[in-house]
This record gives sequence, C-alpha cells and structure tokens, in this order.
Amino acid sequence: MRQGDAVSEERHSGLLVVRCRLGERAAFRELVELWHDPLWRYVRGMVGSSHVADDLAQEAWVSVVRGLPRLHEPERFAPWLFTIARRTVTDHLRRIYGAPQTAEVETDDVTADDGFGDVLTALEIEAGLSALPPLEREVLILFHLEDLPLAGCAEVLGVPPGTVKSRLHRARRMLRDVLIEKGYEA
Amino acid sequence: MSEHDDAARRAVPEELERALAAEVSLRSRMRHVAVGLAGGCGAALITVLWVTEPHPLPARTQAAFAALIAVGLAWAAFAGWVLSRRRPLFARDRVLGARLALAVSVGTCAAGTALAATRGTTAEILATALTGGVLIAAAGLLLARAHARRRELLRLRDTLRDSAA
Repeated sequence: MRQGDAVSEERHSGLLVVRCRLGERAAFRELVELWHDPLWRYVRGMVGSSHVADDLAQEAWVSVVRGLPRLHEPERFAPWLFTIARRTVTDHLRRIYGAPQTAEVETDDVTADDGFGDVLTALEIEAGLSALPPLEREVLILFHLEDLPLAGCAEVLGVPPGTVKSRLHRARRMLRDVLIEKGYEA
Repeated sequence: MSEHDDAARRAVPEELERALAAEVSLRSRMRHVAVGLAGGCGAALITVLWVTEPHPLPARTQAAFAALIAVGLAWAAFAGWVLSRRRPLFARDRVLGARLALAVSVGTCAAGTALAATRGTTAEILATALTGGVLIAAAGLLLARAHARRRELLRLRDTLRDSAA
C-alpha cells in the first residue's frame, strides 16, 4: 500500500471512529464494512476455519463497539482493533487447548537480512501460513497482509518493536522453508 | 488492506449486522437510563416517606420499606453496570441521558420536598430540599460535561472532514 493511501485510510477510519463516538449509528455500519474483511482474514489466518472465524469476528466486533467510547485516539483504531481481535483469538485458543500459548525465547537484535521480506506476496504468505506456529503466523498476517507498521504490530502483540523484527525475521525464514518444501522458489 | 482490496471484499454477514444493530441500539441505552433513574428516585422517595413518618412504624412495615429501597438501589446499580460495561453511552446518548436525569431529579426533588412539607418537621424539609438540590446539581454537571464532550468531538469530526477533503 502506498504511504499516501495509508494516511488517507487512517484519516477515514479516524473520522468514522469519531462519528461512532458521537453516536451516529450509520457510522458503525460504515466502520464495520471497512474493517470486517481485514479483521476476518486475520482471525481466519489464526484459527484456520471460516466458521470459527465468523463467530470470533462477531465476538471481536461486539467488544469493539463496547470499547469505542474509551478509544481516545481515533487514529490508533487499526492497532486497537487487532489487539481486540488478538485477545479474542487467544481466549478461543486458550479455551480449546486449555493453556496459553507460550512464546519462544526471542531477541531484539536482527542483524542478518533474510532477503525475503520485500518479495513476499500475499498469496505466497497465505499458502504457507497454516504450516507456521501461531506467533510467527500472526506477525506475518499483521505485517504483510494487514500492512500494519512495525510500531502497530508491536502494539497489537504487546512486545517491543525489536521483538517484532526478530519474530518477523524468524517467521520469514520458516515460511521460506515451508514454501520451498511446497515447491515455491525463494 | 493491500492487494486484497482489489479482490472482492468479504461482505458483512447479516447475523453480524443484526448483532451490531442490537449492540448500538439507542432505545436499549435509554431504557437502562430510565430504569436506573426510576430505581434511584423511587428509593429516594420511599426514604423520604420513611423518614418523615410522624409515628414509629411497625417492624414489618420498616422491613418492607427497607426491602423496597434495596430493590430500587439494586435496579439503579444494575443499570449503572449495564451502561458502563454492556451498553456504554456515546456522546449524543450521554446528552439525552443527562437531560433525562436532570428532569427526573427536578421532579423527584419537588415531590420529595412536597412530601416532607406535608408530613415532616422544618429540619426534615430542609434536609430533603438540600439533598434534592445536590442531586439536581449533579445532574446539571453531568449535562454540562456531556455537552462539552460532544462539542469537542464535533470539532474533531469537522477537522478530520476538512483534512480528508
């Protein structure tokens, strides 16, 4: 996405959020129409089932509507939305597996370039996503499919930007291995 | 939202639309505001009745009064919980809710003071009027804050509209 488009989209979302906070009921519909697709794709990528994604997306939207009056920075809507979606997915996974997902040991330093980040297409990422562990899967979805900046990913994931970089680096390497295994060329 | 924007966007399911329509319903919010106000003001008026009773009341009547007050306060607390957790008020809803609260407070204060005037002592009348005055002032403050918040959001909306144009 071009930077100009991103800024314009951010402003449009910000305006919709302010209209929602004012209590304009029509704005809720517009906001949901604008963000349901990215939200659903994120949830679908994390849980792997369209039906579960439908339920979880609805659950997330209800939380979003209930929390909107407390969102004081309209321009932060996207990271805030994905934070809620992430919490909904985490609760769902916790219910299923009975225990929280544990993170692997991570470092903030990434020196080596995997040489892969700039050439990944959305289709390639989606093709290999299901084979990745949840942490790596979600950072790829947020950064590459939802186009969140590093700072936005860090806010959603609740980790420092350096950790996002290292997680992203590891996720791309794992994805490359998966794609090569599936016959894609790196 | 990059390459996928070009592809067909996933439509919002009807079930989700219905759930969200119920979730943002103004009627539901105002109903809870009304329930809270009715519970709180009902409890206040029963308290005035009890306090201004000229003769000592039988134990059963006292228990009934206490139970009615508890029920009124419970409804007020329930409405407060719903409005803070489940159906938070948006800026316009807050203005409407605060207007309703102000009107109901004035009515309750007038009714309570009139009750005290026909049944109670001067001290009881003064105490009832003073308490009613505090309630009216609190409702007025809520209304002023709701208007200020709404004005602030309207300004922000206009600024964002101008910058987006």
